[in-house]
Amino acid sequence: MTATTYVALLDGGKREETLQVERVEPGVYEVTLRGATHRVDAYHHDHGTISLLVDAESYSVQLDERGNGMRVHLRDSVFPLEILDERRARMRRAPGRLTADGLLALTSRLPGKVVGILRRPGEAVREGEGVLVVEAMGMENEIRSPKDGKVVEIAVGAGQSIEGGTVLGTVE
Amino acid sequence: MTERRPIRKILVANRGEIAVRVLRTCREMGIPTVAVFSEADRGSLHVRLADEAVHIGPAPARDSYLVPERILEAAARTGADAIHPGYGFLSERADFNRACRQAGLTFIGPPPESQEAMGVKTSARRRMQAAGVPVVPGSEGPIADEAEAAAEAARIGFPVMLKAAAGGGGKGMKRCDRAADFAKLWQAAKRESASAFGDDRIYLEKFLDGPRHVEVQIFADEHGNVVHMGERECSVQRRHQKIVEESPSAVVDAAMRAAMGKVAVDAARAVAYVGAGTVELLVDSSRSFYFLEMNTRLQVEHPVTEMVTGIDLVRLQIEVARGGRVPSQQEIAPRGHAVEARIYAEDPARGFLPSPGKITYLRVPGGPGLRDDSGVYGGWVVPPYYDPMISKLAAWAPTREQAIDRLLRALADYHVHGIATNTHYLRAVVDHPAFRSGSYDTGFCTTFAKELVKPPDPALEPVALVAAAVAAHRRDHDRAEEFATRAHAPSTAWARLGRLRALRKVEP
Repeated sequence: MTATTYVALLDGGKREETLQVERVEPGVYEVTLRGATHRVDAYHHDHGTISLLVDAESYSVQLDERGNGMRVHLRDSVFPLEILDERRARMRRAPGRLTADGLLALTSRLPGKVVGILRRPGEAVREGEGVLVVEAMGMENEIRSPKDGKVVEIAVGAGQSIEGGTVLGTVE
Repeated sequence: MTERRPIRKILVANRGEIAVRVLRTCREMGIPTVAVFSEADRGSLHVRLADEAVHIGPAPARDSYLVPERILEAAARTGADAIHPGYGFLSERADFNRACRQAGLTFIGPPPESQEAMGVKTSARRRMQAAGVPVVPGSEGPIADEAEAAAEAARIGFPVMLKAAAGGGGKGMKRCDRAADFAKLWQAAKRESASAFGDDRIYLEKFLDGPRHVEVQIFADEHGNVVHMGERECSVQRRHQKIVEESPSAVVDAAMRAAMGKVAVDAARAVAYVGAGTVELLVDSSRSFYFLEMNTRLQVEHPVTEMVTGIDLVRLQIEVARGGRVPSQQEIAPRGHAVEARIYAEDPARGFLPSPGKITYLRVPGGPGLRDDSGVYGGWVVPPYYDPMISKLAAWAPTREQAIDRLLRALADYHVHGIATNTHYLRAVVDHPAFRSGSYDTGFCTTFAKELVKPPDPALEPVALVAAAVAAHRRDHDRAEEFATRAHAPSTAWARLGRLRALRKVEP
């Protein structure tokens, strides 16, 4: 059997690692990463849990799949990553990366209530500065500007209830 | 046990883990139960665990769990004769308490008069001062006007704490370090307070530097007995929310415990208290303590007291509400050490943003000395409308060190998929040298913020990548192979048979 190549995207796609995986017998793989090949015995427990013997080291790994991506839990670390086969990785690279040029939307991932508007259209903002305040789950959270620029539009009013994902305004 | 009042059916006017907690004791006592639920909570665990359940309105708490009439209607409809309010929501609302009484229902908690005396934090402070209990310097009462409040803040001296007069649980509480920030924080505190308690009155208190937050559990009955059940150390707080609590406190010795216990009992007596209550104290670096407030309800962190005393506080609440007596002070003998950590649906890596959503997988730890007070299950969608706490994990052991090690081990075995949780953060807190040494204060989470939210360990990254790649390989190839085997199996068998026959023909 031939090896399959996978590309892992880390740090939100800013970093890539390439791995070759070849199954040598049921549950046993040879995995090549960063020039070294490891014999990996992978035992799939219940949903999301894999017991890995990498060479002789034992690891219990939790794979929390989220849409296209996953969060890999291992001891006290969590690695958010996305894993693609070679073909998908090529397709992904083609259109070029998103840049922070132009209009960017301000959204709240959570439904809640707009309780404060800190910047008006036309006002300058720096990356990370709060533009709106949204109350969700009993706590107030600032919706921060994703870039240096100026506020173009505020699409909501104070006191307005919002759904998760609503565009609250734009920054350019 | 003298029982003056029967309690035949209890309505639990709450949701989430505390509703589940109360329902469990009711089940053990053989008392039928009624749950209430908002539109967002039809699938909630507490609804499933109760004998009856009543829908009380839309998802936002102000339209459901915070509406006294809805709760009273549900009680009338189901014939419940007692209300357990849990914590938060209506638990400290004297008007609700009184309405229960007027409707002929037993409110499992103190009399409304005690709640009024302690409920408005500013009048409680005045009362405690009169009783000779030291209080933290601050404004005389709630302040209505922003300009007046800003002037008062300047007089007290920054930093000051803005606090909700009706408050508790960190909601509506803000620390203000300089005059320039005052207006923004004042508005935020008012809004949070209004939304959490339906009351936007704010008062000011001097911010004490490096204080510890230690509280005393008290219990009183209607026969004039008041006892204390030792203290809980609650100094590990983030944004004024307690996240790790322990009993006993590392800073309290037997003499100090007795002194604090006496103050707490006196405070309860001063307001003719009945039931479970908590007297919160601030302890400064010279181990002097000041009255902060009294919480006239069951506390979130009550399990650590239950673990060291062996007393079921909810059962005792129900017995006292029936007219029963509290145990004597001599009978209350705390043993060993308990530590509790609050598990929140939030993402420490993204500024602790709440993380509601579907729990796709849940596996909780077991083993000796553990307790998981959870309000969720695998498959449940954590709604975005309420407090993001999903569970409290507590560990008991004979010594503090062993209890910490046990909690660490258990947190590592707590697996929640689909939403982000703070379990790794809690492990970093509990394993931090300052926490382990026992010498920490309410500034702990701020002081060590950088050490507590750790980036993933680069040494483990290759293993994580290998795991993800092997899982992807298995998914892609096993499925393909399985499909191929199924798809081709019959034709392969026919082909084999054909070849066999062909071979036979050429045989002589």
